[in-house]
Amino acid sequence: MERKRNSHYLIDPDPVTLMDILSVRNLRKHFGGVKAVDGCSLTIRAGTVVGLIGPNGAGKTTVFNLISGFEKGSGEIIFKGRRTDNLPPFKVAQCGMVRTFQIPRALTKMTVLENLMLAPKAQAGERIWNVWLRRKDVKEQERQIKEKSRHILRFFEIAHLEDEYAGALSGGQKKLLEMARAMMIDPSLMMLDEPFAGVNPTLSQKISEYIDELRGGGMTFLIIEHDIPAITRISDRITVMNEGKILTEGAPDEVKQNREVLNVYLGGEG
Amino acid sequence: MIEYVSVILPYVTTILLISSIYAVFALGLNLEWGFTGLINFGHAAFFAIGAYTTVMLNISGCPLVLSVAAGVVLAGLFGLLLGIPTLRLREDYLAIVTIGFSEVVRYILLNEEWLTRGPFGIHGFERPLQDVIPYQYYNTFLLILFVAILGIVYLSIEKLVRSPCGRVMKSIREDETVPSALGKNVFSYKLQSLAIGSAIAGLAGAMLAFYLQYIDPGTFKPIETFHAWIIVVLGGTASNRGTIVGALILWTFFSATKFINPYLPFTSHQMGAFRMIMIGLLLMLLMMYKPEGIFGKKEELALSD
Ligand SMILES: Nc1ncnc2c1ncn2[C@@H]1O[C@H](COP(=O)(O)OP(=O)(O)OP(=O)(O)O)[C@@H](O)[C@H]1O
Ligand SMILES: [Mg+2]
Repeated sequence: MERKRNSHYLIDPDPVTLMDILSVRNLRKHFGGVKAVDGCSLTIRAGTVVGLIGPNGAGKTTVFNLISGFEKGSGEIIFKGRRTDNLPPFKVAQCGMVRTFQIPRALTKMTVLENLMLAPKAQAGERIWNVWLRRKDVKEQERQIKEKSRHILRFFEIAHLEDEYAGALSGGQKKLLEMARAMMIDPSLMMLDEPFAGVNPTLSQKISEYIDELRGGGMTFLIIEHDIPAITRISDRITVMNEGKILTEGAPDEVKQNREVLNVYLGGEG
Repeated sequence: MIEYVSVILPYVTTILLISSIYAVFALGLNLEWGFTGLINFGHAAFFAIGAYTTVMLNISGCPLVLSVAAGVVLAGLFGLLLGIPTLRLREDYLAIVTIGFSEVVRYILLNEEWLTRGPFGIHGFERPLQDVIPYQYYNTFLLILFVAILGIVYLSIEKLVRSPCGRVMKSIREDETVPSALGKNVFSYKLQSLAIGSAIAGLAGAMLAFYLQYIDPGTFKPIETFHAWIIVVLGGTASNRGTIVGALILWTFFSATKFINPYLPFTSHQMGAFRMIMIGLLLMLLMMYKPEGIFGKKEELALSD
């Protein structure tokens, strides 16, 4: 009874578990002697943007690999109330998360448009018999997916390249393609590995705004980034990693003042 | 003139017949390798399974159409069976296992005489509409039938590779991490590709049996797998049109060398070796001057990283 009344008050002393979209407990991954991830725990609330920062080799990308199922380590990963640490990557993705790769993985011998059209989930025409049995649905869906692809390509300013092979794009354009492809899915959680690296300033700005807009629509983000001004601008919370461990976690301004963070990562007096 | 027609026409018909069989056979491999990136070095095994199932069922009284269907399905099932343990592993495992499988199948055909008549081979099975079509027109009829089958297989595969399903297959060929990260069940698509490719090889096997009227284990040596690979590489990987043209070129070349055999100082055995040397040279020239194959896209080759 007491508890029930409490839930009426909008003050919640600790994070309300129902709203945690992702919670990771005691994550560990060692490569031989290298403790890439060494007992990380973090919690992400739905509808927020969380920045993940830290020096090179801190273990950030490895955390991504563990969460998305591409690496198996130890620890507990709960995504939308479901244990996902023992699922294969495609099943984890099907639960509603998508990730990008630090080094973009363009499907080089497919066109830019095809790269994007691949992404949407549960396409009717992905089932082989539907290609013949549900021609109309498949065709209509293809039309919609193509339209959406073009829309996103226009946003990322690579629409003029839609018929080029992805292998012909520049490094930065591949980065954009990688992100555009992820945006084709409407996931609950989007994990971006250094989205601003190698992207020109005006486009970075635009992408920041887009992330903001999507967050407004309820999407959650976990973003690795070395561009500190950019990541502090868009993040609600920032987690700092160092040598496989979480150094600190907090609002961007707090984190920027943190002595340890200044020492190991940001350098100088801040 | 009459003589000319009566000599050349059957000759051309023969080349077209055998080319259409191998075109179907290689289209199966092209789906696996060209569009999905699977390395199958035992394609001939599925050729054999299709042929043997068809003729064995037929001589034991099964209607021909059902026999062919059974051959196709069984070849596809063996593709599945082989894929389940190997396709989750690194890509070279499939290559190794299929080589082994291909030889195992051939030894079974050779040694299980109670079932397959072993080295004596099988003949005396039915051919499509053999009682209806007059004997002198039979090869022409067979050619029409085979070209129709080739057309259907070609159009179906084209439709498949241009569909969302084919798009996933191509993405697996490129980098399977990407479709996995996007929630596609890569394993399942690889299995489907291998099963369909194998079923198509099974269909080609039935066609080969109808054409030869006799099959034995020696018909399905590993060299047949190699022929399919030559055809795919020659025509241009991932080009179905190229595969058909590749089959035509290969068999025209083979029969041409047979034609000139009397003028060369070789026994027929030596001639076989000579042909393979010629094929090797042809492939080397191709690699030097048109490495993407006849119908392959140059950009696609240049872009590999
Ligand atoms: N597959 C692997 N095999 C061996 N060691 C690895 C592997 N992946 C990562 N590591 C090691 O784990 C540590 C953490 O690497 P990780 O890629 O997670 O760092 P990061 O924080 O993403 O760094 P950066 O900011 O440079 O991208 C590094 O010391 C790296 O050498
Ligand atoms: Mg990294």
